[in-house]
Amino acid sequence: MKQATLLWLLLLALTTLTTQAATLSAAAGLTGSAVPLVLLAALIKGRVVIDRFMVLQHVDGPWRWIVLGWLLLVLGLIGYAFNLNPT
Amino acid sequence: MNIAVALLAPQGRRRDLPGDLAMWFFIFAELLVFGVLFLAYAFARARNVELFNASQLELDRISGAINTALLITSSYFVVRAVDRIRHGASRACVHWLAAAMACGGAFLVLKLVEFGAKFDAGITMSTNTFFMFYIGLGFFHFMHVVLGMVILGAVALKAWQGGYSAADHTGVETGASYWHMVDLVWIVLFPLVYVLR
Repeated sequence: MKQATLLWLLLLALTTLTTQAATLSAAAGLTGSAVPLVLLAALIKGRVVIDRFMVLQHVDGPWRWIVLGWLLLVLGLIGYAFNLNPT
Repeated sequence: MNIAVALLAPQGRRRDLPGDLAMWFFIFAELLVFGVLFLAYAFARARNVELFNASQLELDRISGAINTALLITSSYFVVRAVDRIRHGASRACVHWLAAAMACGGAFLVLKLVEFGAKFDAGITMSTNTFFMFYIGLGFFHFMHVVLGMVILGAVALKAWQGGYSAADHTGVETGASYWHMVDLVWIVLFPLVYVLR
C-alpha cells in the first residue's frame, strides 16, 4: 500500500503542477504554451489510474490496451485539435 | 525502499480482469461516449478559439482543481478498500469505501455550488457553445459520480453485512472499477474544459 500512497501523492502533485503552469501561462498571455505539458500530465495520471488503480497492467488479453488506447487516442486528438487554429 | 523504487515496482502480477466482465463492457461504452463528447468539445473549440478562451475565464479553476484532488483521493481510498477486503477485513473495507463516498459527496457539493454560481450569473447552456459543453459535460459526469456513489454504497452495505471475503470479493472489485473510470474521465475533462487554452 506504500506504493499506492506514493502514486496518490504523485497524482495530487501533477494536478497542482499543471493547474499552476496553466494559470501562469494564461496570466502571461501565452495561449497554447502549456498544452503539451498539461496533456502529458493527464497521460501520466491516466496511466497510473489504469495500470495501478484499476490493476490492468498485467491483465491478459486486450483489456488494458482498450482503456489505455482510449486515453492515448483522446489525448492525441485533443492535442491535434488544439493545434488546428492556434492564436 | 526509496520513493523511485516504490513507484516503479509492480503492484502484484494479476492476470485476470478485476471485477465482473459485464461491468467492463459498460465501462468501455461509457468511455466511448465521453471520448466522443471530449473530441466534439475540442474540435468545436478549434472553430471558436476566441469565444472558448474568453468564456473559460469565467470558470473557477481552483474549484475544478479541488474537485480533481477529491476524485483522485476517493480513487485511492477505493484502492485501500479493495486491499482490505483481499485480506478479509470487511469492516476496514467499509470504512475506506465510506471515506471514498465522502470525497464523492464533497465533489458533488462543490460542483453544485459551481453550477449555482453560473446560473446566478445568468449563464445557461444557451449562453454560447462553450457553456453548452461546460454545463452538458459537467452534468453528464456529475450523474456518473452519483451512480458511482450508489454502487459504492451498495457494495459497502453488502461488505458491512459480511457478504464479501478474502476469497470472494468480485463485487468490491466491480464497484471499484466503475469508480476508477469516473476518476479517469475527470482526469481528461478537467484539463480539457478548465485548463487548456
